[in-house]
Amino acid sequence: MSADKAAAIKKTDSKGSSGSIFIPAVLALVLIVLNVVLSIAYYNNQDVYDLRWVLAILDLSIILSFYAMAGKRVSHLLVSMKLALTLLLVLAILSIIGTILPQGEKVINSGWIDNPLYNFYRHLGLFDMYHSRWFLALLFLLAFNLIVCIYNRLPTAVKHVMRPRIDVKDIFITSQPLSAEIDAPGGNTMSLAREVLSDHHYRIREGNTGSVMAEKGRFAGLYSLSFHLSFLLIGLGAIIISFTGFEERLEIPDGATASVPGTELQVTNHGFQMETVEVRENDRVVGYRPSVYSSDLELFDNGESVARKTITVNDPLRYGGINFHQASYYRTGRGYVTVLSVNKSPGKSLIYLGFGAMMGGIVLGLYFPHRRIWFKMGESGKLLVGGRTNRAKMSFQQDFDNIITELRSSK
Amino acid sequence: MDPLIKLEEILFIVAVVSYLVSSFLYIWYLITRSDRAVKLGTIILVLGLAAHTIALMLRWVSSGHAPMANLYESLSLFGWGIVLFFLIAQHFYPVKVAGSLVVPTAFLITSVAGVFYEGPQPLVPALQSYWLWIHVTIAMLSYGLFALAFGAGFFYIVQEYLLKKQYQNVVAAFVILLAALGIVLGLWAGSVWAEPAKVADELGRIDKIYTGEDTAKILGGAGFGLLIGAILGFVAGKGASRPGFSKRLPSLDVLDEVSYRAIAFGFPLLTIGIITGAIWADQAWGRWWGWDPKETWSFITWLYYGAYLHTRLTMGWRGKHSAILAVIGLVAVMFTYLGVNLLLSGLHSYTPT
Repeated sequence: MSADKAAAIKKTDSKGSSGSIFIPAVLALVLIVLNVVLSIAYYNNQDVYDLRWVLAILDLSIILSFYAMAGKRVSHLLVSMKLALTLLLVLAILSIIGTILPQGEKVINSGWIDNPLYNFYRHLGLFDMYHSRWFLALLFLLAFNLIVCIYNRLPTAVKHVMRPRIDVKDIFITSQPLSAEIDAPGGNTMSLAREVLSDHHYRIREGNTGSVMAEKGRFAGLYSLSFHLSFLLIGLGAIIISFTGFEERLEIPDGATASVPGTELQVTNHGFQMETVEVRENDRVVGYRPSVYSSDLELFDNGESVARKTITVNDPLRYGGINFHQASYYRTGRGYVTVLSVNKSPGKSLIYLGFGAMMGGIVLGLYFPHRRIWFKMGESGKLLVGGRTNRAKMSFQQDFDNIITELRSSK
Repeated sequence: MDPLIKLEEILFIVAVVSYLVSSFLYIWYLITRSDRAVKLGTIILVLGLAAHTIALMLRWVSSGHAPMANLYESLSLFGWGIVLFFLIAQHFYPVKVAGSLVVPTAFLITSVAGVFYEGPQPLVPALQSYWLWIHVTIAMLSYGLFALAFGAGFFYIVQEYLLKKQYQNVVAAFVILLAALGIVLGLWAGSVWAEPAKVADELGRIDKIYTGEDTAKILGGAGFGLLIGAILGFVAGKGASRPGFSKRLPSLDVLDEVSYRAIAFGFPLLTIGIITGAIWADQAWGRWWGWDPKETWSFITWLYYGAYLHTRLTMGWRGKHSAILAVIGLVAVMFTYLGVNLLLSGLHSYTPT
């Protein structure tokens, strides 16, 4: 009977997966055609279209539909720890390659530009590794992996905090990592135990069947969740910045005015100042380097002067969500030209929120162990006490021993 | 020369010499268990630390900023931190035996700092911020903890071979460790010996030009380091290959726990180091992250230790596997701390060296 049932389950299972090959196959085909068309458009007009995001998602979808065609469940892949670890290591390896090969504009001055396969390598994204479609696709996959893992664990983690296990059997208490049985002749043993644990700053929660749980650091179990959620916040912030923010380089000679593209703002450079120090090598001057440089800027909004500030490298001018940073400078025959980095990052608050969640997770995880102690009158007539902690076992042991000693001595 | 700078140099040399003498005394203690050796070693170490502290304070005064702006200052501070933490640890915990590893490491780092000696200089504009000391202190603490995890991991592997009486593997472990160290030091020594020509660009950034002869000197240095390291490793490995030696090392459980704990604390610190760096970069240049080599390598290191923690917490790895990961991890840490500054160019390349 049970063998039949097992066979039936197996049959429907295999039928289910073989029947579903058709859909991912069609999907993959459509995606591949779309991918090829868009890739050609992208590589022919790289400066016109920025299709990397679309291509990265397409690449990812194709890989996942092949995975589904192989008869495996995409949902199983996405929850697996092995996928996360593999992705972390592959991203690390790609990052290493990116630090070895010249990236971005640097490739222009390197020997790579004369390489006959230069264009091929460029299309592979070797010279813009961190913005390449492959790198983005892997980051997306890692984000999916993270989302699925968080989704899976969120309900249990929340339940753990909101509705912890209070009503327990005797065997549950005696099988805790730390446990003790205390002779209890008097009738007030339970209220004594409540008092002692309250004195040790435990929060007492009454059960319905005579057992009581005392806990400390109830939110500590959420550290991992908080830590992992923070990546999604930071990632989201980064995506918002890359779509709605901008970064422009403005080069303004002394006394000149420049417009900020896409806005009604104009900046006047009232003067660039610089101080230098000598660079010495064995008491010989080999060059000079700047010790301080600054630009005296005045900002006009619709022709009206709205701000004036002397900016230095670590002290930008901020106006209406737009920041003017002292990026660099150069010299011409007629004097200095200041180089400003003008940018707007609307996803900033999300990134700060992400940093906050990350720090919160770290602080919870490191400094707030989750300690729980259950106690009840056992069937044997003794007071049963058992407890556990998620970390810092040594100091919990000390705490537990103190509590037991107090209970024993004050009965 | 400014007398303060001269005094700083003298005190720095006093510190390096004290650390060297103390190293021998701690190693002598490991071999003979002589209490007099370790007491003398501790006294000399404390005196060295005092001299080192004054040297760093003089540097702070004469340069006008915390000693974190170039490789000499950074390494010197790192060596100082190791000695300070070790002396505190030794006061509270029975870790005298670890001194035979920690004190020579501090000596090595501090003396390498001396190789990169530079006089006090004002900060480059990008570093003129209060974030400097916050960011650097946190990053250094994380590097120190990863180094501790490395040490515990290495001795875990040695201890396991000792307990299994696989003495040829003990020797191999020491040879690989010291040969690798020898190659790295040899590369440094070779670069110093080669003295490549330097050219400065408009912003004062210096590029080095290596001739064929320079390259040969650098490779020669690496080969020489490899040879010396391998010989020293063989001697040390043979010396450790005795049944009694395993009793002088902590138990496997303790080594495993120390290695894991160090990473469990180092990883959050590295995370905070990266976050403070990102906030600082946003303030200075208006961008969080620019894939500059230092940023990228800190990200790589972070990915690596993140993976380590997952193997440990969700896949249940323990013991030798974890120890091997902790040992390999130091390569990424060292590259992030030093390799990037010495080999790759970028915003973090301190001052022009």
